Amino acid sequence: MKRLISLVALLLLVCGGLAYASTQLQKSSGAASGKVLNLYNWGDYLDPALLKKFQTETGYHVNVETFDSNEAMYTKLKQGGTHYDLAVPSEYMVSKLKAAHLLQPLDHSRLTGMQNYDSRFLNQSFDRGNRYSLPYFWGTLGIVYNDRFVKPGTLTHWSQLWSPKYRDQLMLIDSARDILGMALVEQGHSMNTTNPQTLLAATKRLDQLSPNVKAVVADEIKMYMSQDEAAVAVDWSGEAAEMLAQNKHLHYVVPSEGSNLWFDNLVIPKTAQHYQAIYAFLNFMSRPQNAAQNAEYIGYATPNAKAKALLPARVRNDRQFYPDDKTLRHLQVYRNLAPRVVQTYNDRYLEFKMHH
Amino acid sequence: MKKLSRLYLILVFVILYVPIIYLIVYSFSQGDTMTNYHGFTWQHYRDLFADPRMLAIVADTLLVALLSALIATAIGTLGALSIQRTSKRVTRDVLLNLNNILMVSPDVIIGASFLIFFTTLKMPLGFGSVLLSHIAFEIPIVVLMVLPRLREMSPSLLSAAEDLGATTHQLLTKIILPFITPGILAGFFMALTYSLDDFAVTFFVTGNGFSTLSVEIYSRARQGINLEINALSGVMLLFSLLLVGGYYLLQQNSRKRRARKQHNREVPQ
Repeated sequence: MKRLISLVALLLLVCGGLAYASTQLQKSSGAASGKVLNLYNWGDYLDPALLKKFQTETGYHVNVETFDSNEAMYTKLKQGGTHYDLAVPSEYMVSKLKAAHLLQPLDHSRLTGMQNYDSRFLNQSFDRGNRYSLPYFWGTLGIVYNDRFVKPGTLTHWSQLWSPKYRDQLMLIDSARDILGMALVEQGHSMNTTNPQTLLAATKRLDQLSPNVKAVVADEIKMYMSQDEAAVAVDWSGEAAEMLAQNKHLHYVVPSEGSNLWFDNLVIPKTAQHYQAIYAFLNFMSRPQNAAQNAEYIGYATPNAKAKALLPARVRNDRQFYPDDKTLRHLQVYRNLAPRVVQTYNDRYLEFKMHH
Repeated sequence: MKKLSRLYLILVFVILYVPIIYLIVYSFSQGDTMTNYHGFTWQHYRDLFADPRMLAIVADTLLVALLSALIATAIGTLGALSIQRTSKRVTRDVLLNLNNILMVSPDVIIGASFLIFFTTLKMPLGFGSVLLSHIAFEIPIVVLMVLPRLREMSPSLLSAAEDLGATTHQLLTKIILPFITPGILAGFFMALTYSLDDFAVTFFVTGNGFSTLSVEIYSRARQGINLEINALSGVMLLFSLLLVGGYYLLQQNSRKRRARKQHNREVPQ
């Protein structure tokens, strides 16, 4: 009995020590001062140095909490109980959050950096007039290829993926909208089609791709491609940027006939509390210098035109990640489709995966 | 045959431990990914200890684990005592099965229901909600660890003590608790590991700046996990080794004491 009591006392002591350590650590980063901003972001999706700079400049401490999927974030925002001041959903999730009345409109009179943004990335279909969201990063869907297996410059269109040359060489990102969208564009349709007939035709076209498909995988594509395990992959630009950094034989192409254009956006959830801090942060992140620093750290494309001008020329002029106007015009943003249509997309995609 | 069985045992342990060792070897690798080993460095450990946010999360994770395991052990032990004392068989079976249902129900469902529960109560998510939900899912484990020990205890031991005039309090502190201490310790350590491991429940109930390791690591996966996480895994493995070592010492210690007591009894001075 005595031993049990002393054991419990010891454990409580350790707990006290840990609690002290934790508060001390948080204090050292300024969390306890009360001037805070609660940011709900993807894991490792902001340069930590910028947070420090923001704090020394404005005195606001940023509590970063992280999520791993749009859907998980949606659940947390919807249930309440949290007081996130800013969140970073992708474009289709912005429409969904908006429809669920979970967003607070932006007060444009308090935003000072709007003129820094490239007008091509504002006023998108998911948020007309940017009433609720500011673009944070953008990117595309495209083709990654390895120049040891594919002659550079020869692979520029979706239809070429169907060529028997690439038999058992192709890796696809495991995503219904993206893969079906690719087949739709290849056939000259919109990536947002709701016509079941068109979708069926696209699925049939995808089935013809089967002999070329080596695997349909998610994050692992990065590893396979950087280790020369496959010649060609269909993936997002953000992922491609990381692969390219690891293997200099890799290249990324956005087919000029069209592809997906995606955005991650800063929005204010309904439960936000610290408005001073929110607008200070939005304006801070809109400043060209800061946006450029963030873009260099993350490696994604920035929608901030003045920030882009500050990036090193080799990044700024990289057609792979900042495609030219002509390609950009052909890119399509995913629309938030009705649940029934989303179901059809998922069913068709599943059929393709099963046949494969 | 004996050789074969030993070979099998070695193989199983190799399969279990190689991934962990692989992870830790790469925590000492220069470079940013786990694709090629680039030579020895302490850099990732230095990065880890220079990252106050990460360290605060580690401290919070351990705090939640220790505190919730402690409270769950107290509640679970009392629960086991009361289940054991219930004389009606049906009631006892019902209680035990209610306990088991909590053990087998998927974490995701428990997590989602806690989220709904806390938000309807308008309780802010954070340290409190994580602690409470961890305590809740650890209690059934403790009950299951303590009960077998209680069943082993012979009823005549209790009757004998009562005959000799022991009060209820003495019965509990001098007879029952010392006897079931190994079960309590095992329950505590199981609860501790469950809490450290848990992602699904924790994910739903974290909020307002509070996070635990599993949630943090999982959400970093989108960018590819950097080697700081490997370094952290190394530190955590060291921590679990210390934990296992501590548990072993505690067990050894109590075994020795018991042996000494018995020895003293058998050899009258």
